[in-house]
Order: sequence, then C-alpha cells, then structure tokens
Amino acid sequence: MPKVTIDGVEIEVADGTTVLDAALSRGKEIPHYCYHPGLSIAGNCRMCLVEVEKAPKLLIGCATTVADGMVVRTESEKVRRARASMMEFFLINHPLDCPICDQAGECKLQDYAVEYGDGRSRYTEPKLALSKAVDIGRHVMLDQERCIQCSRCIRFCREVTGTGELAFFQRGERAQIGIHPGHRLDNPYSGNVVDICPVGALTLKEFRFRSRVWYLKNTASVCAGCARGCNVVVGAAADDHDQIGRLRRIVARYNGDVNGHWICDEGRLSWQRIYAAPRLMTAESPAGTPADWDATVAEVAETLREAAGRSRAGAILSPRLTSEDLYAWRRLFEALGGVEAGVRRIARGEDDDLLIRADKGANAKGAEWIFGAGATEASVLESARAGRLEALLVVGDPLDPDDTARLDDDVRSKVARVLFVGPFVSGAAEAAPVRLPMAAWSEQDGSIVNFRGRIQWLRRAVGTKAEDRPGWRIAADIADAAGVEFPSFTAPGEVLAALARDVAEYRDVDADTVGMLGVPGRTEAPAGA
Amino acid sequence: MERILTRNIEKERSHTLEVYEAGGGYQSLRRALASMSPEALTDEVKKSGLRGRGGAGFPTGLKWSFMPKDDRPKYLVCNADESEPGTFKDRVIMEKDPHLLLEGCILSGYAMGAKTTYIYIRGEYVFSARRLEEAIAEAYAKGYAGKNILGSGFDHDLYVHVGAGAYICGEETALMTSLEGNRGYPRLKPPFPAQSGLWKSPTTINNVETLANVPFIVERGADWYQSIGKAPKNTGPKLYCLSGHVKRPGTYEAPMGLPLMELVHELGGGMLHDDRPLKAVIPGGSSVPVLRAEECAVDLDFDSLAAIGTMLGSAGVMVMDSSTCMVNAIRRVAHFYAHESCGQCTPCREGTGWMHRVLSRIEDGGGRQQDMDLLLDVADNIQGQTICPLGDAAAMPVRSFVKKFRDEFQYHVDHRKCMV
Repeated sequence: MPKVTIDGVEIEVADGTTVLDAALSRGKEIPHYCYHPGLSIAGNCRMCLVEVEKAPKLLIGCATTVADGMVVRTESEKVRRARASMMEFFLINHPLDCPICDQAGECKLQDYAVEYGDGRSRYTEPKLALSKAVDIGRHVMLDQERCIQCSRCIRFCREVTGTGELAFFQRGERAQIGIHPGHRLDNPYSGNVVDICPVGALTLKEFRFRSRVWYLKNTASVCAGCARGCNVVVGAAADDHDQIGRLRRIVARYNGDVNGHWICDEGRLSWQRIYAAPRLMTAESPAGTPADWDATVAEVAETLREAAGRSRAGAILSPRLTSEDLYAWRRLFEALGGVEAGVRRIARGEDDDLLIRADKGANAKGAEWIFGAGATEASVLESARAGRLEALLVVGDPLDPDDTARLDDDVRSKVARVLFVGPFVSGAAEAAPVRLPMAAWSEQDGSIVNFRGRIQWLRRAVGTKAEDRPGWRIAADIADAAGVEFPSFTAPGEVLAALARDVAEYRDVDADTVGMLGVPGRTEAPAGA
Repeated sequence: MERILTRNIEKERSHTLEVYEAGGGYQSLRRALASMSPEALTDEVKKSGLRGRGGAGFPTGLKWSFMPKDDRPKYLVCNADESEPGTFKDRVIMEKDPHLLLEGCILSGYAMGAKTTYIYIRGEYVFSARRLEEAIAEAYAKGYAGKNILGSGFDHDLYVHVGAGAYICGEETALMTSLEGNRGYPRLKPPFPAQSGLWKSPTTINNVETLANVPFIVERGADWYQSIGKAPKNTGPKLYCLSGHVKRPGTYEAPMGLPLMELVHELGGGMLHDDRPLKAVIPGGSSVPVLRAEECAVDLDFDSLAAIGTMLGSAGVMVMDSSTCMVNAIRRVAHFYAHESCGQCTPCREGTGWMHRVLSRIEDGGGRQQDMDLLLDVADNIQGQTICPLGDAAAMPVRSFVKKFRDEFQYHVDHRKCMV
C-alpha cells in the first residue's frame, strides 16, 4: 500500500487511490466541481489542482493516482493561486443572480468564491447572455447561464441511468448543456441531476422558488416510497412560525449499502402525497364530528375488546407503518385475546435494475417478521366477506392517502363496526364511523426494514396541526382503555427494545446500532437448522 | 540540394502508383518485410533521430517503442488534421505523393505490430482525402496493403476518416475520441495512447510528414538520415510552410535547420514590398511565441528555436512586415483559439474568450492601462492548467505579442488608434 504525504501528513492508502480521495479519507476536502464519487472522472473543472513534488505542472487531484513516496501540497501558494484563477474564470460569465437562485446557500460556486476567490472582478467585458429557464424535463429546469459545464449531469444520464438525454452542444465558451432534439429528461431518476449540480443550473420544478435553503430544517431520514428504503435528507420549511413546518423537498443521502448516491423521482416527490388528501385533524365519532380523544379511544377499545372476545375482530395494517407501530398493534391484538390481523401489499409497476421496487411497502419485510408471511389483507377481507368479523380496524397508510385500504360494499355490509386509525381521510376512513388521527411519515421516529432486511431509522422532520399520535402510542392508549396488560411504552426506542427481545430478526437492535445508515436484521438460519 | 520528401511532386501524375513505383516506390516496404524485423525497423528509426513533425518534436522511434508487446489489437493513427494556422505541408504530400504516406504508414504499422492505420484528415481537405482513397485502392490492388502484404504474412488495412472541421481534433486524444464517433474532446493523460488509445487499445499517433520520412530511412539508412540537418538531434529533411508578407509564399523543403532568413529571402524571394522591412515572424504555426525581426537570425529546427523561447511547431512560418498591426494580428490569433477551444476545461473555455474580448477592445480604441498586465495574467492562468495543449497554444502567442510588442499595445491604449 503506497504511502503519500499530503500537506505534511503521511498516510497509507490502497493502491489506485486518487490524491483527492486520499485527502478526503482524512477529512480534507480538495475543492472540486466535476468530481463526483458516483461518476467517472472528467477532470474538466481544474479546481482540484494540487502541487505534486517533482511534477513540472500542477496536477488534478481527482485523476492523479497516489504513488509511494509522493509528496502533495494542497494549500501551497501556487495551488491557492491556481484556485483563485479558476474561480475568476468560472465567474466571468456567471450571472450575479444569487439573490433569486435556488442553489444559493448550498452552492459550491459561492462557497469556493468565499474561500478561494478574489473579492473583486477584473472582468469588465459583457457577460455571455444565455437561456435562463429551459424546460428540459418533467421535473428539471435548466439555466444555461449558471452552468459551469462540469458535466456531472451528462455523466449521470450516461453512466447511471444509461439514458443519455443530455450532452454538450457548441464549443468553447459557447458550449452549453442541452437535451438531444426530440428528447426530454424524463427518466425515473431525473431529479438526481439537480442534487449533483454544484451550482444553480439545474433546479427542480417542485422546489424552485419555494424556499431559501437556509430556512430549511434538514433531517436525515429514509424514503418510504418503496421497499428499497433509500436514504434521504428531508427538508422542511418552518414557514408557519409555529415549529410545525411543511415538507419542501427530499434529496438523496449516500448509503453505499442501499441506494448509493441516488434516489428515484417518485421517492423524491413522495412528500407531496402527504398533502394530497385532507388530514384527519381530530378524533371523530361519528365520522365528520370532532370528538374527545379519550372518549373515542375508549369507544374503539370497547368495540375491539368485545369483538376480540368473541374472536370476531380483524385488522388491516399498512406495510409502511414503522416496526414500532406494527409491534405495538400486535401486542395490543394479543392482549385483547386475538384479532385477525393482515398487512396490505402495495405493488405497482416492476422492479428496475437501479433502485425502484415494485413493492411499495417500505416496511413490508418488517411486517413479515412481526406478523409472519401469512398475515395478509386478503385473508382478513375473506373473513369479513364470510361474515366472521364484527369489528374491523383499518390502520391507514402514513405516506400516501391512495394506499390506505379500501373496503368494498360487500365488506362494509358484513362488518358491523369499521374503526379507522390513520393520517388521511381516504380509503377505508370514508367508511369508518369512528376515526383516530395518526402521525404521517416524517412526523414520527421509527424503524423500517427494506426488502433486503436492512433495518433503518426514520426521523421526525415536521409536526402537524392535527391532534395525532404515533401509531404505537395509539395502540398503547387503546390497550389502556381496554384494561388489558400492555408494556408501558413512552418512546419509540422502548418499543424497539421490546421488539428486539421478542422478534428474532430485531435481536440486539437499538436506535444506536441502526444509526444513520441502518443495520442488517438477523436473517441467518439458526445454527443446526 | 537534393529534395527528398518532395522529390516526386513535380512529376506528371505524381499521385499515381505507377509514377510512385517508377521512382522506386514501395521498395522500402518490400525490403523491410523481406529482411527487417519490426524491432530492427524501430531501431533504425530511433537511430535516425527522426522527431515528430506535427509540432512537439518527440523522437518517433522512442514513441513507437512505448507500444506494448501484448496481444491486444494495436493501431496506428496518421494525424492528417493539419489545422494549425499557417501550416500546409501535409497537404502537399497527400495531394501530390499519397503513396509515400501510405508506404510510411504500412512500414510504421509493421514496426509496431499494428494491423490498421486510420488516417484522420480534416474535413476541409476534400481533395487530399479523395487522393488518399484512390491511392489506397491502388495499393490494395497491387498487394501493398490488405492481407499478406507482398507474401510476407503481414496484414495491414488503411482507412481514411474525414473530420468535421474542428481544430481540436488535431490534438491526438481528441482525434481518437472523434474517431470513435464521439464529440472531439481531449482526454486526460495518463493513460497515454500507447497504453490505452483508440478503443482503449495501444495506439500511436504520427503526423503525415513524420510517416513520410520512414520509407527513406529504410531505403538509405539511419546514418544517411542523420547526416541531413545542421544540428545534432535535429535531423532529416523538413517541409517549411512560408506565408505572409513574402514574394513567394509556399511549402519548401530543406534540410532541418534551414536559417529563417534564408527561407524568407532566398526561397521566399524576399519581403513582399521592398519598402516595408521585416517586423516579426511566427516560426511554427500560430500557437508559438512570435519573434521580433532582430531575433530572426535563427535556424529553423527544434532546439535552435527552443533556445530562443519559441518552437518549430508545425513549421508554419508567418512573416509580418512593418505594415502589420500587432494588436490586430494577435486579436485574429486569439479569436481563432477562442473559436476553436472545445470548452471542456475551465481555463481554456473562459480564458480564450476573455483574452479575445480584451484584445478586441484595445484594438477598437477602448483599451485601459491595466489591460496588458491583465492579458499576461490571464494567459499565465491558462497556461499549464488545461487538459490539452490548446490552452498553451492560446496563451503563448498572447504572452509573446504583449511582451515583445508592448509599445504597440501601449500606443493603442494611449491614442485609441494604431501606430502603423
């Protein structure tokens, strides 16, 4: 393994490591625009020029492989001068529209201009005037003037999605990113080009001009759009001055074991689903009439307890509920003496070979671990149709109103009491005379398990004005009202601790071991099996 | 003086195989295939001291020896993109003696184990391309190209690929990218073409004139070749392209090391107007530093020109007399490089346009006192920081013009008009 000295510190790195990566591995960022760890090396921005002893010229850190004994300086006068000159070159034709640019605040051009640029410009010629708002795809707008031609977006479309919609057109300073004639940037991952654009050239239609990024509260979380469980950062704007906030965007968060650097457009925009249907604001009984929480919980508890006592209670749960919710419901059902529970399966489209899964149940695997594979929505509905259920509890989908279970007329006519717990007035909620509001995705902490059995942690990013509770707490309230034995859960970590003791796949898991990147559940067969 | 590279060009129908053969053509190929190993041929070229005629002057035999001896397909690429302003020498070979180039290609391919030559020719050279196609067809018909050449067991195919008019495609890595069907962008080096070139295979790129020397080295030997030229390590015959304010512009052959003033006054017939003395010469195509008249007592070879801070380059000798506005001249040069910059890397993309706009402003009467230093600074910031040599090619002439003719720039700034 070669040893390289970077700014006086000798480090040992793997063969083939680049100077830029070697520096980064020790927490030292060599400034760069075109380099992206998920894409091929382009070497075009020239921002990462560093001084290598015995090399006649400065070399670009992103494309220079370390050799044993190499001595690299990343902060020498020569290097700083080169960086300052690159910043000057980048800025001569760059528009001064930071005040209305969505990238402002998280713009590498701004950051490096502060760090390495000169406060004044020597450029007095007219700047190039180019197109400012080119509609290149379903979700993406292009500003030709802001583009610094790093080619990340082009490489993304060629190397990651293989769709190749983007290219350079013209040459020299007239060179522009553009879309091939007759094409649109409509691949299912198009939003990633906005994430990787180091400047404000590519913006997301659903985010542009909606919020200044410095007003966003960013929360590391996990996408609940499908069973992949891509790692994301959820940005919420607290524009109500009441700490509730409103979701504004989702961007990709790197996790090499799950999604790499990317997320799909559906996941990126999944937050919009939360605003796609009316929220259930308070407990309601009868439907449409606000009711006291405790009284409504008592009503639900009584209904369930009586039906369960006669073995005539059923429940349908969303596969997007957290493991903690699902486990609390299971404990409640057990304590009530038997509720026939089934988990919905939400499937749309097909698996692709990048990230998208047809199974939209973000926690379908966790539900399977907790309830077993046989606990299906279909079997519960079959019991309902056969007249075997007096009470049916539906726990709705926390992300998408349209994915909440629906009950057809046949089921509705055969079940005496439909009880609903969920965030939205949608699906089965419309048929339910008794409703309890529940926290939606991004409004509570909890774990979900992706299709590969990786346990990951969702984090609360916003609140709501609704009188809602996390699902596990509602289950606890109902247990309390029903007077059945139930653990005293006060935080999702406590539910997870109980789950870890009870369900083999969660053994030894807690919020710390899950961390920011998740941890594989215990799926290995027991010894000797 | 014996003409070597241009010995055939004045013959009737010099481009035909018949005339080429009558002058001893393809005898070198016959001899090499029959009696020389590829290694021996490479050694002979090494010993000859032949240096690349495209501009950089890199020793040709040494370049060939970088080709790995593995089983991957190997390619020879002939750079016929001759696009450097002031350069028109390769065209003479391709139009008048295309078989000389083909024989050079096949011999060179044999030396490095390449079974294919791609001749990448600039799109504007329509006539040259047609001549090459015709010559290739003739060579195939007579068994000088294709399978089992002259019964030797050596196969070699030749293809002409016509470019689409970009200067950058004369840069060897951009040329390969273009040849592969992509936008003509230079590539990062390393890897060098001999390790990973055309289609990631070992590739050598040689200029037309370079390859045209090879048959003579085989025919008469490295010792003979070395004896041509004034200075050591600057050997062989050379084609000089003379243009500008001279009576007889054109392509002239002379031994390497021809004195610049001999080219201007004897071969070129002297200055165009007897009352307008020499002011400056660009000795190696528009990308090399300019020489003031008093610097022109120099021999035109790689090392003599390097010693005075310029380059032989493509031997495009551009002569400027006292009527030339140096601000106007460099503005034109700067426009060319700004127009031809591929735009891939930052300093060249942004810097070439900036320099051109400042120069235009000075010439148009809007110059400022700080503009000369600004130009030098911008040129400095481009040079050495780009992916390919186009950045240097754009920066070097601007620096040299401003440094050597600063008084003219100053006059433009002070008086808002030209001093000539």
